[in-house]
Amino acid sequence: MADLINVIAVGILLGGIYALVSVGLNLIFGVIRIVNFAQGEFVMLGMYGTYAGYTYLHLDPYLTLIVVLPCLFVVGAVVQRLILAPLRTEPAMQIFATFGLLMLLENVVLAATGGAAYSVTSRVAQISVDLAGVQVGLVRLIALAAATLVTVALGVFLRYSMLGRAIRAVAQDRSAARLMGVNVDRIYMLTFGIGTMLAGFAGCLLAPIYSLSPQIGTSFILPAFAVVVLGGLGSVPGAYVGGFIVGLTEAFAGYYLDPALKHAVLFGVFIAVLIIRPSGLFGQIGAEEVGLRES
Amino acid sequence: MTAFWARRTSAIAAALMLTLGSAAAQDLKIGVVNPFSGGMALYGDEMTRGFDLAVDEANAKGGVLGRKIVIVRASATSAQEAIAAVEQLIGRDKVDLLSGTYVTAISNAASEAALNNNMLFWETNALSRDLTDRGLPNFARSGPDSSAFARRSVEGVLQLVLPKLGRTSQAFKVWIEHEDSSFGTSIAKEQEQLLKAAGIQVSMGSHSARAIDLSDSILRAKNAAPDLWLSTGYVTDHNLLLRTAREQNFKPAAMMLVGTGDTFETRDAVGKEFLDGILLVSYPRSDIGEAYGPGAAAFLKSYQAKYNRDPIAPQSMSAFVGMKILLQALSAAGSTGYEKVIAAAAKMDQPFGTYETGYGVKFDKTMQNVRALPIIAQWQNGQVRAVFPKETLAAGVAMLDLGRK
Repeated sequence: MADLINVIAVGILLGGIYALVSVGLNLIFGVIRIVNFAQGEFVMLGMYGTYAGYTYLHLDPYLTLIVVLPCLFVVGAVVQRLILAPLRTEPAMQIFATFGLLMLLENVVLAATGGAAYSVTSRVAQISVDLAGVQVGLVRLIALAAATLVTVALGVFLRYSMLGRAIRAVAQDRSAARLMGVNVDRIYMLTFGIGTMLAGFAGCLLAPIYSLSPQIGTSFILPAFAVVVLGGLGSVPGAYVGGFIVGLTEAFAGYYLDPALKHAVLFGVFIAVLIIRPSGLFGQIGAEEVGLRES
Repeated sequence: MTAFWARRTSAIAAALMLTLGSAAAQDLKIGVVNPFSGGMALYGDEMTRGFDLAVDEANAKGGVLGRKIVIVRASATSAQEAIAAVEQLIGRDKVDLLSGTYVTAISNAASEAALNNNMLFWETNALSRDLTDRGLPNFARSGPDSSAFARRSVEGVLQLVLPKLGRTSQAFKVWIEHEDSSFGTSIAKEQEQLLKAAGIQVSMGSHSARAIDLSDSILRAKNAAPDLWLSTGYVTDHNLLLRTAREQNFKPAAMMLVGTGDTFETRDAVGKEFLDGILLVSYPRSDIGEAYGPGAAAFLKSYQAKYNRDPIAPQSMSAFVGMKILLQALSAAGSTGYEKVIAAAAKMDQPFGTYETGYGVKFDKTMQNVRALPIIAQWQNGQVRAVFPKETLAAGVAMLDLGRK
């Protein structure tokens, strides 16, 4: 029984990490309808931004959020404006462009760092708490809480703010939104900026957990795709729930079967869900056309 | 007048080209295939620094075969790129022989491509035993193989860990963790055989070096309650395993890492307090005692003088020694042709303790140098110190408690 509780705890904490990484990816897909292959690289940039703040400004990794978030927002807005906007009539080319961006960012960081694995440490990273016999790292608990907070905050923002309503309007029908006076191009830029900023947020919170390497973004992106497909394409709560499905699947497969098999099991479940319910748990059929869900 | 000057200029240019061409022909070019870009570039660069130092030393004494030695680099981060790199070195750069690498997959492909071009491939740092077991006629390895790492780690368990913990092999439990490529798997399988033969209880677990989470691996190990956690992996997965072990409060009596975990990257990731006492099976380091590796201190001085820093990792000194052995084999062969060099190397017989790493030279029939062994080091207050065999201990260094209580 103790084993089972431990495995569930590991799965939930891992789910929080995946949810954190995936929520921005799903927002971008829901509104702009691009599968952003570079989302993992934005997480990686957030991590290196944290490292820079930690090393050169001597900030605690969590305090670097005040620098990293605005920077990543600007990066996302610029990428959307300079790379994706000119390709707006060519959706397939936009996907290839994000793949090109993935390679570009990874290799630029490789050249800058020489491939060395960097680390940031926080006093929090040293703390492990005992929750009813389950040993849990405080950094992972913080990541789980942050994922929950971000999901709720994003839901509230989309539902109740003017900008959020405009984003939902564009997601539902961009032509109608344009006729109602919404500046669709501006909404696309802001949405991509917000999605990129969320990746940066994930990067900051995950930096004390992992050794930083230029390839770490690609390690996140495959499970993140599984998260958004299982949870539902374009659904913000779907990304949150999908994170836990993926986290728990990996934890159970890794512990009870074999750690080397956990990705095989995960993507087996992924294919099965695609066959049984192609729109995912929170999505609806044709989500790639409909975009962001209101729920 | 114009025609006169045109003829004159042509004649001067032709003479210059002849002179330069002749000088270039005199250089003995060694093509080095390594990852000089990408995530493995740090170590590809580091071991090539060892080659450069050995070549500088040889050139200061007049080179080899009467020719100045030149290192020509070509980057490869995968097997496919290794083949292209070999073709470029042979076709464009006209190298005389090839060397490298620190990655088994790259060595595997590059050495086969070299054989297709009838060229020697001299391996210094890639580990997998399979490389020599292929029996390629143009291939030799001067450094230790995966089997040597496995044997040294088990020696460490039997001669270092058990006495230090006051235990015997009866009822002693070891958890063998390994990354799941051929590097980790080959070492782990041999460790399992040797430990079981010594009467030790063994459990095993594997993981992907690219996994985002390794909590399951640590939980499985923790549930087995081992006395020793023995892990073979790369830098990032070892860092993640150690961080997770700290979070999960996993504290076996002793921990031993094989292959990596001995650089600043791990110290910065995990912190020196947690690392204190952890044992490391690694290449001989430049701070080993002179009784074990004569000239290691001089190597360190040369490295510091040339690169203005301490070695990043011990791979550079093993590469340095590998290049020295190659140059000696070339001298003995009197040729760069692979048949003659391999034949000359096969006749070499140098005792342990001949080189800076403590290596000797004696190739077995697969052309694996059986007198090249890793050592065991230990994290001590944020520094890595060689502790086993006891001859590796530098002045003033002693083995610490294992620190996992």
